[in-house]
Amino acid sequence: MPPGPGPVPIEVEHVSRWFGNVVAVNDISFKVGPGVTGLLGPNGAGKSTLLHVMSGFLKPSAGGVRIGDEPAWLNPGMFRRVGLVPEREATYGFLTGFEFVRLAAKLHRLPDPDRAAARAIETVEMAGAQDRATGGYSKGMKQRIKVAASIVHDPQVLILDEPFNGMDPRQRIHMMDLLRAMARAGRTVLFSSHILEEVERLADSVLVIVAGRLAASGDFREIRRLMTDRPHTFRIRSSDNRDLGAAMLSQPSVSGIELDREVMTVRVADFGAFTRALPGVARTRGITLLEVAPSDESLESVFSYLVRR
Amino acid sequence: MNGDIVRLTLRQLVGKRRTVFMVLVALLPSVLATAFRASGEGDPAEWASTQLLGGMVVAMLLPLAGLVFGTAILGTEIDDGTAVYLLARPIPRREILLSKLCVAWLLTAVFVAASLLVAGTIALEGTDEWGALIAGFVVATVAGSLAYCTVFTLLSLLTGRAFIAGLLYVFIWEGLVTALFDGTRLLSLRHATLGLAGYVASVSRDTFDPELGGATSVAVLILAVAAAGWLAVVKLQRFEIGESG
Repeated sequence: MPPGPGPVPIEVEHVSRWFGNVVAVNDISFKVGPGVTGLLGPNGAGKSTLLHVMSGFLKPSAGGVRIGDEPAWLNPGMFRRVGLVPEREATYGFLTGFEFVRLAAKLHRLPDPDRAAARAIETVEMAGAQDRATGGYSKGMKQRIKVAASIVHDPQVLILDEPFNGMDPRQRIHMMDLLRAMARAGRTVLFSSHILEEVERLADSVLVIVAGRLAASGDFREIRRLMTDRPHTFRIRSSDNRDLGAAMLSQPSVSGIELDREVMTVRVADFGAFTRALPGVARTRGITLLEVAPSDESLESVFSYLVRR
Repeated sequence: MNGDIVRLTLRQLVGKRRTVFMVLVALLPSVLATAFRASGEGDPAEWASTQLLGGMVVAMLLPLAGLVFGTAILGTEIDDGTAVYLLARPIPRREILLSKLCVAWLLTAVFVAASLLVAGTIALEGTDEWGALIAGFVVATVAGSLAYCTVFTLLSLLTGRAFIAGLLYVFIWEGLVTALFDGTRLLSLRHATLGLAGYVASVSRDTFDPELGGATSVAVLILAVAAAGWLAVVKLQRFEIGESG
């Protein structure tokens, strides 16, 4: 992919958006530049609302968004440099894939819409199905043809709302390669996801949004370390919970223990030190470990921890 | 005006069930006209102008067609989320609206004018008023089509229940309220359309005597198109996707 004319950053400044009494996005500020940025958060966190504000489809209740030197709100002209892949699956079902992408090229007033459409369709590997009506496409095919329509004008900024929904593993890998190639060519790519692994595999930097607030932002490895180093809780069953609990309490990595009749709940301050110490302590005391399971590994609990920090 | 949006909108609307429904409805005046002529009773010019063209075509078919096409050109895309594929392009929103409105106007005018031409010819054949009444009603319904489509397109941008709101306007406001209170007829597209038809036809008042005069009718129609069109453009420019997540 050839490099673009210059980096176009997305600047979000103190953006809030509320619907009646519900605050969907609460005083969020950040700036993202060329590269792939993941907008991560659980369902209902405010990701789509924020993406809609960024793409000019929602007026911020407070604050503002700039794409490069242009405001996002009341400015359809910004789409000369911006591509948008919406989350909703619907396409014009009566148009073929080629017609759908060519329509986008024509609306962008590209000099050779047929050629631009063919190139975009080739990029998302949909040439084999381009003459079929999009109404008959699978969810993954619709996602890819939507991406083709959004990159037909070779935008400097690409905003994607849950782009991997419905894609099979091979399609995901291909789409990730495509987005990485765009980022290498100096494009600003921002995508939302509620799946940690997708963001981990693709994004250079990450924005974590929880309950409408920006919980964390920056390099993904740093945020991953925060997630791993946070206090954990383990559920443990063993041949002698009482003896094991007494021994583990002396470990500096353990911050608290609750004993039930059959299950012991251990609160851990240092994940790595605890997982290294536990097997040794059990072996020394001749205790058999029947079950060791983290009890708070849901994405929501990880996000909640990041918000509390 | 954008030819790609015009072609897209035509493909969206033509061939759908709503078009088949409109064809069937548009045939009704001709069936009635045939029955009337077969009965051999009454004055054809008076019956055609007041009951058939002024009643069935202008009071029923015209607003219904305007409602069906006017609310469909943008309302359907907003409902199913495809509107974003037009709105996320670097083209002025007024160009999108104008292109789509022209399609709704064209389809509404074609359906209504074709229906009244056929039905009017059947009912008025052999009468002195045939040419004048047909010309008057064709001009008036073409103008009325634009007014109804513009108002109903605006409704579809203001509410997700535009079809219900449009039916309430047609049957409660235009059908009931304007019949009870004279002053409210100034806010009725039906009365403005009838007034324009009477002005262009210029037939005897015994044959056709609309409530509004020609100048007033033209002013009402122009004001309705200008106000609703301007508001629709503003609304589309400030269009918001109404979901959070």
